[in-house]
Amino acid sequence: MRPFLALLRLELLQLFSQPAAYLALSGVAAITALLFFDHLRLYNQLLFVYATTTLGGFSADTIPDHVNLWDQVFFPVAEQLGITWLAALPLVTMRAFAEERARGSDELLLCAGVGPGALVLAKFAVGLCFALLLVAVSFVYPATAIARGGLGASHLAAVFLGLSLHAIAVASLGLACSAFTQSQLVAAVAGWASAFVLWDFSWAYPFVSERAAGFLDALSLHPRYSAFAEGSVELGHAVYFAAVAAVCAALARLSFDLRRAGG
Amino acid sequence: MSDARSRLARQRTQEPEPWIGRYSTSRSFDTGAEVSLRCVSGNPSPAPAIPALEARSLGRRFGAVCALAELDLRIEAGEGFALLGANGAGKTTFLRLAAGLLVPSTGELRVAGQCPSRHPERVRRVLGFAMETSRLQPALRVESFLRFAAAARGMPRAAARRAVERVVAETGLGDVLRRAIGHCSRGYQQRVALAQALIGEPSVLLVDEPGAGLDPAQRLELWQLLAGLRGARTLVISTHDLEEARRLADRAAVLSQGRLRAQGPVGELLRDPAPLSLFRSGAGA
Repeated sequence: MRPFLALLRLELLQLFSQPAAYLALSGVAAITALLFFDHLRLYNQLLFVYATTTLGGFSADTIPDHVNLWDQVFFPVAEQLGITWLAALPLVTMRAFAEERARGSDELLLCAGVGPGALVLAKFAVGLCFALLLVAVSFVYPATAIARGGLGASHLAAVFLGLSLHAIAVASLGLACSAFTQSQLVAAVAGWASAFVLWDFSWAYPFVSERAAGFLDALSLHPRYSAFAEGSVELGHAVYFAAVAAVCAALARLSFDLRRAGG
Repeated sequence: MSDARSRLARQRTQEPEPWIGRYSTSRSFDTGAEVSLRCVSGNPSPAPAIPALEARSLGRRFGAVCALAELDLRIEAGEGFALLGANGAGKTTFLRLAAGLLVPSTGELRVAGQCPSRHPERVRRVLGFAMETSRLQPALRVESFLRFAAAARGMPRAAARRAVERVVAETGLGDVLRRAIGHCSRGYQQRVALAQALIGEPSVLLVDEPGAGLDPAQRLELWQLLAGLRGARTLVISTHDLEEARRLADRAAVLSQGRLRAQGPVGELLRDPAPLSLFRSGAGA
């Protein structure tokens, strides 16, 4: 336990002693603000159009049901945040193993007495905690929208849980890709490719049997993430995201054995 | 009956007897004292000391490239040993195999009686590896890094503090303790690498090209430091530098293209031009 905690501390020190972490946090906050305020602006324009053309005013029944804060602002922002994580998180995780491997400092850590299992766990713990920090930063505006839109705390919690689990799964894919290469660029591209492929398999449905389509649907990230975004919390979906993270951690651990055997 | 069965099982899996593990982590190993191999069965007849490193037909390939082939080497406990060779001769590959960072393609290697490919964690308890300075964490302060190295070996806080103080005194790092490793001179970085390797009080110390990139004064200081560490433990260095080998080693081996070309006392080896011509011509590169 002590080597693991020491490594955890070292990883955190390294992460927050470099400007990349602060740049990532600022970047995510800026992108979320841009997405949120852009949708809010469109929503306000839509409201104004309905209010003026129907001459009923903002409080009249002339505004259709679907023109509400949830459908026009929050849900699209939550969907776009899901895709934003697919694009952004591999950039955050690409360095984790690849940089150490290129420099050979992972071998130094192994010789210092840290086991490969502890090394993988520490890197995953720090990587996933940082992904959750990014989610927390990105969630400020949507949370405000939900609170102001009267969606309630339980819905807010479901959406936050969904975003967090989705971020954990995507970050795990990025970390696993980083464990198999010395190149940060290759790690990022492989992370993007695997995350986008796993995001939604619906494109493959016309080409496969119904049974295979059902299987691919069960593997897709998007339907499970959307369920959370709609406020539905199901244990099966949470287990799916946790399983993706566990498989990725096992693959990253395997990469150390393959490297010992193959060089 | 069960003892006999467990002994048989150990022989099958080539596991050392349990006392070997105890011996390898004990202080007595530092002195190279001889230990009876038959002490478990009650027969007191003496047996040869366990070598610090022993390679038999050791080979390692990286795809089509043969980095090391048919290497037979025995390094005694307490000995200073130099691996000489040009770049690509297989020196660092041998050190990485000894540290359990690689698995041999052929043959066998034992470090203080333990197999590094099967039990790397056991080997790393008795072995310290000072790698190239580029592998250090440049953003960390020297003190933070050494404290991490102590904690990574499972030392409690007080013991870790004492261990850091000891290696700082041994390696002369007192002046740069609060400086980031990346801001230290090459000489100090080499000392940090050495201090990290010494923190667990290893009985076998591997040093990869200790003098590389140092100016003559720094190199001389480092040689003095390593020479002072030699008496207490087995020192294995890889180097291109004949003077370095002469100052730090009792015996040396010349590697070229992954093969052992010659080995023997350093003085004799340096007088004999035949094996050294391979090294000088860079045949191993």
